[in-house]
Amino acid sequence: MEARIEAVPLDDEAWDRFAKRTGGAAAACFQCGVCTATCPWGLVRETPPSVRHLIRAAQLGRPNANEAAWLCTACGECEQACPRQVPIAEVFRGLRGLLWERREVPEGLPSVLWSMHWNRNPWSQPPSQRMRWAEGLDLPPFDPQAHEIVLYIGCTASYEPRAQKVARAVIRLLRAANVAFGVLGETEPCCGEAALSLGHRAYFEDISRTTAATLAERGVRRLVTISPHAFDVFRHHYPPGVLETTHYVAYLATLAQEGRLPLERALPKRITYHDPCLLGRKDQSYDAPRSLLEAIPELSLVEMEHHRENALCCGGGGGRMWMETPRGERFADVRIQEALATDSDFVVTACPFCIVMLEDSLRGMADQRMKVVDLGELLTLAIPDEAILA
Amino acid sequence: MPELHTIVCVKVVPKPEEVRVDPETWRLVREGARSEVNPPDMNAMEIALRLKDRHGGRVTILSMGPAFFEPDLRTSLAMGADHICLLSDAAFAGADTLATTYTLAQAARKLERFDLVICGEESSDGATGQVPSGLAEWLDLPQLTLVTEVTLDRDGATVRGRRGIPGGFEILEVPMPAVLSVRTACNEPRFMDYRIKPWSEEPARLTTWTAADMGCEPAFIGQKGSPTIVAGLRQAESRARRRERLEGSPKQAAELLLERLKPYL
Amino acid sequence: MTASAPALAPGYSIENENRTLWVYLEQRAGELEPVSLEILGKARELADQVGWPLVGLLCGSDVAHMAPQAGAAGADRVVVADDPLLRHFTVDAYAKVAYQAIAEARPSVFLAGATPNGRDLAGRLAVRLRTGLNADCTALSLDPATGLLTSEVTGFGGGVLALLEIPRCRPQMATVRPGVFPPAVLDKQRKADEIRLAVDLDPVTLWTRVVERQVGAQVDLTQAPILVCGGRGIDGDFASLRALAELFGGEVGATRPPVDQGFIERERQVGQTGVVCRPRVALALGISGAFHFVVGIEHAEIVVAVNNDPDAPIFDVADYGIVGDAAKVIPELVRLLRAEREAVHA
Repeated sequence: MEARIEAVPLDDEAWDRFAKRTGGAAAACFQCGVCTATCPWGLVRETPPSVRHLIRAAQLGRPNANEAAWLCTACGECEQACPRQVPIAEVFRGLRGLLWERREVPEGLPSVLWSMHWNRNPWSQPPSQRMRWAEGLDLPPFDPQAHEIVLYIGCTASYEPRAQKVARAVIRLLRAANVAFGVLGETEPCCGEAALSLGHRAYFEDISRTTAATLAERGVRRLVTISPHAFDVFRHHYPPGVLETTHYVAYLATLAQEGRLPLERALPKRITYHDPCLLGRKDQSYDAPRSLLEAIPELSLVEMEHHRENALCCGGGGGRMWMETPRGERFADVRIQEALATDSDFVVTACPFCIVMLEDSLRGMADQRMKVVDLGELLTLAIPDEAILA
Repeated sequence: MPELHTIVCVKVVPKPEEVRVDPETWRLVREGARSEVNPPDMNAMEIALRLKDRHGGRVTILSMGPAFFEPDLRTSLAMGADHICLLSDAAFAGADTLATTYTLAQAARKLERFDLVICGEESSDGATGQVPSGLAEWLDLPQLTLVTEVTLDRDGATVRGRRGIPGGFEILEVPMPAVLSVRTACNEPRFMDYRIKPWSEEPARLTTWTAADMGCEPAFIGQKGSPTIVAGLRQAESRARRRERLEGSPKQAAELLLERLKPYL
Repeated sequence: MTASAPALAPGYSIENENRTLWVYLEQRAGELEPVSLEILGKARELADQVGWPLVGLLCGSDVAHMAPQAGAAGADRVVVADDPLLRHFTVDAYAKVAYQAIAEARPSVFLAGATPNGRDLAGRLAVRLRTGLNADCTALSLDPATGLLTSEVTGFGGGVLALLEIPRCRPQMATVRPGVFPPAVLDKQRKADEIRLAVDLDPVTLWTRVVERQVGAQVDLTQAPILVCGGRGIDGDFASLRALAELFGGEVGATRPPVDQGFIERERQVGQTGVVCRPRVALALGISGAFHFVVGIEHAEIVVAVNNDPDAPIFDVADYGIVGDAAKVIPELVRLLRAEREAVHA
């Protein structure tokens, strides 16, 4: 007697809606499974989520919006490997969008969006205190007539103490290079990246529309960002042709090339570089940071086992900065092991989220010889004092 | 059975850290302060919307304030509330809690049939926490205050609320209609549903009522209806963290610490 | 529900008040609540300044034995409303009884603690009496010449201090923030007159029914008045944190590392991806102060930090910081609190 096989109804309308929501992201997938094979969740779980299944379910009009949809860190390993260039992170954001509609989202996430709404930042910090970190720095308010660029600080560097140090370092470098820059101050608008990566596209569109209008009002054309997340969202998810967005690493690399950044002091340290996903794989920006590091006298750069295109994600992207990852499943723990294996004094990176995730992992270790340092912070050590004080 | 009708009292408040007292005029300076829905009222709304999820019906927002409350109040519609009644009249200005609760009660009466009035525990500006009880008294209704969870028995027309008591909890039951106040931060308010956002912006979703619309007695509203007066106002000392280091041996430091903590224990 | 206006009830006023000072005595499980002793202490001081009698209102069932303590704490008279229907606080019953007593005695001032029950009671009474109520006061003064009570209250998250008065309506009501005034010094020689109030309650008119009441272990960090958090630096010794929390009347929280290591359950993790709390006092013991954690306690009125590392970021967000070994400081705190507790019960 044959067992009855349940026929599963396919829902063309649901597929159409999902395709519309995600710009047809899942359409090109032909189910090869390379995505599942490359996903870093395979490094920390015996049975990692099947990215391939998730895409298939969406194609069949039965989007599998469940807890697996929240695992994606948007690291881009799958997209890089995909033979059909399926924008897989967009598929995940689409699934998350469905979960927002069903109100099946992890605890804490609605509060992140509410914070963006009431406080203009995802960190629940008072909007009036956005510039507190900059007291005494005399940062000039942006003047389109006088300034080459806007230094876009962003919510994380404005409020998170570790990231504030990065902002201060970048400012010292800009001053050492005599860059005419301004900042947007207390009313600097939030880029909205958290809303996008958490999958609430509608809210992201609302917030980004407002931010774009504010930037236009203030005559902002050229932005240099502290965070790769702000960089990515302004570059790829804001209306094209309006803003010219650069991340500070690329900007500093250009300054160095132009001879404006005096990287003269020797730094006899052994370091390794952690490529942030949004600068590396997403932006193909592997050489800019390395060119800066190589310009520092006596600095010795050792690559980790997985670097450049294969760099391992820190686990903080895709909105996971706002979600709890159980011990044993943290990408950052794996990454720190790789960094320690290079026997470096510093693991250098260029993203506030990477820094938080990597430092958190390092804190738990008995071996504290290695430090997590931001590229900007490292560069300030190579600039002669006179240049900074000038 | 008529549909469940829940009223939620909502206040729009200035962000507390942005309000100053002018040291020369002793006036509260609210201009320039960003506004927000009083955070405990968000928790109250979430309770009301969960009841709507469960039992159907509708949620009416009641708010006493000027027209500039409107955009912030409309976020409640995007969360799932059905209608806003904004009680706006120059005559309401200067109201203490007696006059405020009287005004809210008049509005509730004008809405006629309702099962529940839900309030946040207190507002971040005045922080009296008296509105729920006062409102219940004007309406001559039972009250359950500081609840964290609510369930209804629609057939029996009763409402149960769970509330914390020292070292534990209790569940109390009162007949409906009733007034509830909700414990701050007891739940996570749902974010706005952007599918209904355009609908939430329709002008018809908000009605403004004046004192005359609600049949308010002039002697009971605004400054006239307020027994309490403000005799003085000043900025409290800075709320920045003190960063005081307590020195000495562990024993000495512990002693110093307990001395500092006494007023707060 | 009719649309008629409420009757303009005849609240009494400054014209026909009696110059007495009344205090609502909150009691639970056969004992006067600490806040009542605090208010009696302050009220005695005020009563002495103006020369008015101080009266306590005591409601409950089998509560008369507490009247002498109220006397020892400063009350000249205690009005006792003793009835089985008052065994557990319900605002319906208590408001009826208190209103009856107040309407008859017409005190100039009526004070209560700003506890959940005190606020419920005062809130309803103030409307029933058509008078003003100054909530959660942190200071009180009574003018001997005018008999006017001035209450200090805070608003806007504690950023603004206001002085409030009720010039005409009576009684002048205020709820007092617990812990602001020191408890009255008990003078066993002091005796108060006891007056029994006739209680006439019809159970049918009482709305509130207690369905369930449980006193036991409940983990709700968001409602804890005191939060004692442990981090990596306490090396998993949550037993001593529990002892400390119990003595403080609070709850234990933790940062992520001890949760990871299995020293404490995940429900107790405080921070951005754990629980965000608003206690009166948050203690961060052996915690470095990473942003993720700080977000969970930044709303605390007072933050205390104990850490070996003088440069730990936690000290930037603490009101009181002790640079030292938490393992040495905690036992001292426990010892001191235990000694204090024993002294109170002696």
